[in-house]
Amino acid sequence: MWAYIINLAVLISINAILAITLNFILGYAGIFSIAHALFFGVGAYTATFFAMKFAAGFLSATAAGMALAALISLALALPALRVRGEYFVAASLGLQMLAVTVFTEWKSVTGGIGGLTNIPPARLFGFAVTQPEHFLLLSLACLALIILVIRALVRSSFGRSLKAIRDDETAAWAYGKNVAVIKTTAVVVSSALAAVAGSLYAFYLSFINVESFVLDTSIQVMAMVIIGGTATLLGPVIGSVLILLLPAGLSYLPYLPVTEIGSIQQIIYGGAMVLLMIYRPGGLWGFQDTPPSRKGGAT
Amino acid sequence: MLLLQLLINGLQLGAIYALTAVGFSLIFGATKIFHVAHGAAFTIAAYLFWWTNAVLGLSWLLAAALAVAAAVAFGLCMERCVYRPIQRHEGAFFTVFIAAFGVQIIVQNLIGTVFGRGFVSVTTPLSHSIQVLPGLFVAPVAALAIVVAVIGFSALTNYLSRTHTGMAMRALSENPDLIRVFGLDPGRVAQYAFAIGSAIVVPGAIFTAMTAGLNPAVGAHVMLISLAATIVGGIGSLRGAAYGGLLLGLAENLALWRLDPQWSEAVTFVVLFLFIIFRPAGFFGRPHAAK
Repeated sequence: MWAYIINLAVLISINAILAITLNFILGYAGIFSIAHALFFGVGAYTATFFAMKFAAGFLSATAAGMALAALISLALALPALRVRGEYFVAASLGLQMLAVTVFTEWKSVTGGIGGLTNIPPARLFGFAVTQPEHFLLLSLACLALIILVIRALVRSSFGRSLKAIRDDETAAWAYGKNVAVIKTTAVVVSSALAAVAGSLYAFYLSFINVESFVLDTSIQVMAMVIIGGTATLLGPVIGSVLILLLPAGLSYLPYLPVTEIGSIQQIIYGGAMVLLMIYRPGGLWGFQDTPPSRKGGAT
Repeated sequence: MLLLQLLINGLQLGAIYALTAVGFSLIFGATKIFHVAHGAAFTIAAYLFWWTNAVLGLSWLLAAALAVAAAVAFGLCMERCVYRPIQRHEGAFFTVFIAAFGVQIIVQNLIGTVFGRGFVSVTTPLSHSIQVLPGLFVAPVAALAIVVAVIGFSALTNYLSRTHTGMAMRALSENPDLIRVFGLDPGRVAQYAFAIGSAIVVPGAIFTAMTAGLNPAVGAHVMLISLAATIVGGIGSLRGAAYGGLLLGLAENLALWRLDPQWSEAVTFVVLFLFIIFRPAGFFGRPHAAK
């Protein structure tokens, strides 16, 4: 039971990192990306690659993943952010589909469908983190660090510019904000930090394959943000706790066939997204009187 | 000869894509709703056709009629039960998008739970390929898909330019308030747009069931194609969406000349990306479509 709780806590903290970083662009900047699992995957595969080929430690492997994720997100953001919100949705959806193909087909690096096994444990300052409890500490530390970074960014002038762009892009532009640069920076920061979650995930499970980085993952992270509450610091964390506890809770229900739990889980959060959008667009944690996504990505 | 074969396959696929994208574009043009659950209408229609025709053994005509009814009912229900309540209080692109996405997830998983997650397909004599020239195989269904696409599209454009509701639908995209001045109900016109836009996916759904086969995730693919075709063709242009769909179908197949089939989605994405970079207004987009 203890091991089960530790395992769940590690997975929650990894998913919370994904949700927080997605919320940074989705909630604060109004940029709608469905490609978050791609950056999660890039972080995981890159960290694995460096850990297996060059025996890199946790920090350097993670840094490599972040750098690559930042680079790829730049390629997505530069053209797609010059145009309206709908275009970014379409471009990120396309990039996510493309990434799944690359993850599946580039067998020499990603291991294809079979994935990569025997990833060495994370090494941090010369120690190998093998105990699950220790790994939980590491992932919680990363989560806390990322929350602090996002909090600082949101409260800085950069964060205010982001919110201004979200609420009225034309007005922000008229006030002399360089909209394209600010939005692109937000996407790059968010993607690089999402790669940290990927690195943690790979080192924790010591096994990764493409199934963790598909469109469904992107949607699940999106659901965490939406259900928890966009444009809040704690909302995404709450959302990820709720969504990851859902399968655990469902498995206690005696009538459900085990093979259908994944589907039922997705139906539940799909339904939650629809109902929340109709009755409470700010999410569970969000405030009712100031709908945070008033303008969305469109102007 | 391979190239000619791919060209014909591309035309067939492009015809299917064009019909689907036109439905999406019609709804988006008239109501400004980014109806990403369009893929769900496609999935529902396709599975209903497969189930009634291939499993229950109903005649194809009855099965197709049921599929149309289901797609239309789904579209109307989306407008009435999801989009309208949301638009009543804010109606942001973003909120509508998430709700539609939620519906797409529900439909995909429900269909996976009920009908299984494997590939299914409808086999008819029409889908057997005939050797037309040495080395060139064409199934009658390919010709049928192209003919149906052309008929469907010309019927739709005629409807939009000749009938009152059609004109009202075009007017709705320009100025909803003016519609009210003319004594028409914008909500009602939007319902027409959803009914027609959803009905027009059915031929594409049926042809996909007959050729490539279905799985519950087909909706996500349809969604990508509709989005991409609408952008490539120019947001707000039906003609553009049709050509965009055709172009994507052709590109996907012509790519097979040099690439493995797993890369077909990648080709769609590259085409889309090139358009976003170099011509964000698309083929026929109005200049203000891009910022």
